[in-house]
Amino acid sequence: MASQVVKSSIVGTKVRPLLSTTKGDARVRVLGLYKAWIRQATLIPHDYDIPKNEEQVKERIRSEFLKHKHVTDIRVIDMLVIKGQMELREVAALFKHKGQIMSYWKESIEPKPTDFISKFVSGSS
Amino acid sequence: MSSMIGSKLCRASVQLMRCQPLSKSACCLSSIKSVDVAGPLDLKEITGKERKELQEYITVDQPMDISLVSGVPEEHIKTRLVRIATTPKNPMQSGTHNANNWFIQFDTRERWENPLMGWSSTGDPLSNMSVTFSNKEDAIQHCEKNGWKYFVEEPKWKTPKVKSYAFNFSWNKRTRTSTK
Amino acid sequence: MLRGPLTKALPCARILSPVKTLSTSAINNEKFEVFIDDKKVMVDPGTTVLQAAAMVGVEIPRFCYHERLSVAGNCRMCLVEVEKSAKPVAACAMPVMKGWRVKTNSEMTRRAREGVMEFLLVNHPLDCPICDQGGECDLQDQSMAFGSDRSRFTDIDHSGKRAVEDKDIGPLVKTIMTRCIHCTRCIRFASEVAGVDDLGTTGRGSDMQVGTYVEKLFLSELSGNVIDLCPVGALTSKPYSFTARPWETRKTESVDVLDAVGSNIIVSTRTGEVLRILPRLNEDINEEWLADKGRFAYDGLKRQRLLTPFVRNCQGQLIATEWEDALIAVAQKLQTSEIAGVVGSLADAESMVALKDLLNRLGSEDLYTEYPFPLEGSGTDLRSSYLLNNKIARVEDADLVLLIGTNPRFEAPLFNARLRKGYLTNELDVGYIGPKVDLRYDYEHLGESTDLIKQLASGSHAFSKKLACAKKPLIVVGADLLSRPDGAAILALVQQLAAKVTTDANVSSEWKVLNVLQKAASQVAALDLGYKPGTASIRDKKPKVLFLLGSDEGTISRGDVGQDCFIIYQGHHGDHGASIADAILPGAAYTEKQGTYVNTEGRAQQTLTAVSPPGLAREDWKIIRALSEIIGEKLPYDTLLEIRDRLGQVAPHLIRYGELEEANYAEQATELAKGVSSNLSSEPVDVKQKNLEDYYMTDPVSRASGTMAKCIQAVHKQKQSKYYEEAVN
Repeated sequence: MASQVVKSSIVGTKVRPLLSTTKGDARVRVLGLYKAWIRQATLIPHDYDIPKNEEQVKERIRSEFLKHKHVTDIRVIDMLVIKGQMELREVAALFKHKGQIMSYWKESIEPKPTDFISKFVSGSS
Repeated sequence: MSSMIGSKLCRASVQLMRCQPLSKSACCLSSIKSVDVAGPLDLKEITGKERKELQEYITVDQPMDISLVSGVPEEHIKTRLVRIATTPKNPMQSGTHNANNWFIQFDTRERWENPLMGWSSTGDPLSNMSVTFSNKEDAIQHCEKNGWKYFVEEPKWKTPKVKSYAFNFSWNKRTRTSTK
Repeated sequence: MLRGPLTKALPCARILSPVKTLSTSAINNEKFEVFIDDKKVMVDPGTTVLQAAAMVGVEIPRFCYHERLSVAGNCRMCLVEVEKSAKPVAACAMPVMKGWRVKTNSEMTRRAREGVMEFLLVNHPLDCPICDQGGECDLQDQSMAFGSDRSRFTDIDHSGKRAVEDKDIGPLVKTIMTRCIHCTRCIRFASEVAGVDDLGTTGRGSDMQVGTYVEKLFLSELSGNVIDLCPVGALTSKPYSFTARPWETRKTESVDVLDAVGSNIIVSTRTGEVLRILPRLNEDINEEWLADKGRFAYDGLKRQRLLTPFVRNCQGQLIATEWEDALIAVAQKLQTSEIAGVVGSLADAESMVALKDLLNRLGSEDLYTEYPFPLEGSGTDLRSSYLLNNKIARVEDADLVLLIGTNPRFEAPLFNARLRKGYLTNELDVGYIGPKVDLRYDYEHLGESTDLIKQLASGSHAFSKKLACAKKPLIVVGADLLSRPDGAAILALVQQLAAKVTTDANVSSEWKVLNVLQKAASQVAALDLGYKPGTASIRDKKPKVLFLLGSDEGTISRGDVGQDCFIIYQGHHGDHGASIADAILPGAAYTEKQGTYVNTEGRAQQTLTAVSPPGLAREDWKIIRALSEIIGEKLPYDTLLEIRDRLGQVAPHLIRYGELEEANYAEQATELAKGVSSNLSSEPVDVKQKNLEDYYMTDPVSRASGTMAKCIQAVHKQKQSKYYEEAVN
């Protein structure tokens, strides 16, 4: 195979910023978003009438944020913040439905097979 | 385009950070409107230092990887193999305008017959994804940026042939044609 | 207007073929300048206007011109204006002169093109909706690009358009001769490349007809290529007729594995079905041609397929089971070290390395290929002993070829096409040791006895003088000849002969004289991975379990291993192997997996997945990996890239696709061959495939194909015909 390298070779390029120009800037945005989400978390169980309580919602928010804690590219962080803001807007303005809120917990999704034998038996790719 | 989105939502983020927590507006939608984004933000509204910074460039120190925000599910980044190649010429025709364009192609996944109508179903979101590029390096950069593993197939070139109408009439060579 | 990708709208972005030089004349290699559309280009003397324009990036429309055929110049579509000339010149035939200014888009050129197009369309039937060539038709595209927008044809109400009867030239090529524009490409192909002088023109003017004149079938192993060549829908593929339009098919680039040449193909599919197989350009292997078996045997991919795993129950019946049950049943039997593995001709390198790893972990070293090869001397340790060392492409530069025990016409038709190309253009002489067969070019038949090889090696035969005088001699030995019991002696003699020729003729070190032509696509990869050739030793070993990986040649059968042996067959067709098996594991065919195949030159190539395997069939190496996990000896690779890493560990050239590693140890192999003790038997040199009907069905896919069966029937029918020439077939 010619290349199995996933690591990008695009390093040190000059790009236009998205929202923030420094790491500190991005950090402020992320923390601001987090706080906004946590403040909204107190209202979500009542607004949407879901069988989760406030701590569970806050824990879910935290895990979503921690999922991307390794990201260092400022523009990717900005994009994630923007997406987070979009979600927050939809949740806060009650645009979302109960089912969409519950899908944040992925309870009813059948986990896809991860080990070789299960993948082999279930399908040809 | 990204700066447009950025500028649009910049307002919202600024507002979010500044405004009261939305708990007060639990019952009515009307207060939500105060947080609402008023419209595309004019760059003129961001003044001074902030504006200057946004118009300049920043450096990406780490290898660029936008796989988290490209919208492609993680499974289809980690498990897919991309083929970077050039389109071959259609063997049925002599024209070459459609040939020699760099493109990326994903490994084929399962297609089965849909039980309702008999159409061809697939569970692969990237089954019809075929992006064209003007050169190999662009294609490679695109794959690396998105986090896909790839392999490159170099284009096959034709060797130039010696052609002469006179060969058809050679008196001593086998290239003398026996037919039209 | 921007229906195509943006990259094409930007003229600078398109990549052009690199401007390679044509060295036409050895005497005068000075280039001179020519102006094509005011663009200067330096060309060698002898370059035609069309070629010079192509160097600049200007493509002149043409119908009859084809680079691999002789120049005809009869379509007149390539007429371009040359300054200071009253008449336009045919760009395909006219060699450029110094300082010429060629205008490919001037008023005169455009009028010429419109005129030619008008004449072509006058007698062309309005068949586009029902013509298979629609969407990929040169006439359609060129009439849109270069033709006039309106017709002046009023004759339809009077004498109408010309109509011609269809000719029957076989079960592969459908002819609708009304559509023929008399470009004569098919005639030139049949005569020059295929060597079958059957097609020609009859009559003149409006009454001109292209065909065989008498009721004769166009029977050649390369007959399908006229379908690609014909610029209109006059010659189309009979099995593919009326199935699809080209824009609705998905094209996957892959490699043909029905013979060992490894021709590059494009597999056209739609809704998970293979619709047709077309050749792809590869100058080193198949140029732009494809042999008939690779082209038309795809309908065998739908018949006789193994769709579910089978396990034999106590009553002796094969019962369809689910994967888990089948794997567990097989795994229980595999808890032993007395296992032997046999790989067939269509196995890919990934599954072969997985099988080898598994069997080695279980304690067995008995892995064999179906086709024997001499084990004495250097055996299969030195690659130069079993490869076509001199590369397929360079054969056309040879000036003397000695074929021993091989009929390349049916074993590797594209290799034969190269030999014929050398015969026509390079004054190649061919010597042949074997039964009298028709190679479609003249050769000196030296005889059939093995003694001849001895005589040649010692230099006592008349032909040896020719070998010594040749500047680029080649010796090609057939793999079948080496699979005889005295194969080791033959190989030793041939190696001696090659060494002698190399020194006598003073060939350069890059030119390899000794070549072996393989017949099976998997043989070279198997030998590279460490498989032992030939299944003879299985009969002595008496294994408890026999693992057949697609082996359907029948070299090993139930009688050889006894009733107690548990035979596992993993393959894609229900052929001989599945009939003797106790457990059947359905695998994927070559169009359904991404696998590595090494052709007879030693070039590794990969097939890509065009369709998914049918039913419960899975990719072969994944079956073996799953089996290993259930047995308890889990193989250390889960994904394709990981198993290719393993392939790279074993033999790095296996994953360097498209590149060719030179096999260098020919002298050492000759040295080792001196110690070979077996004697030459007096049996005459024979080839297995002597006639065209032997060509069509040689592997599980082609045996299951209805089209191939029709071809064999057609060949037999032709024998009854009064126009059948004994010497031809």
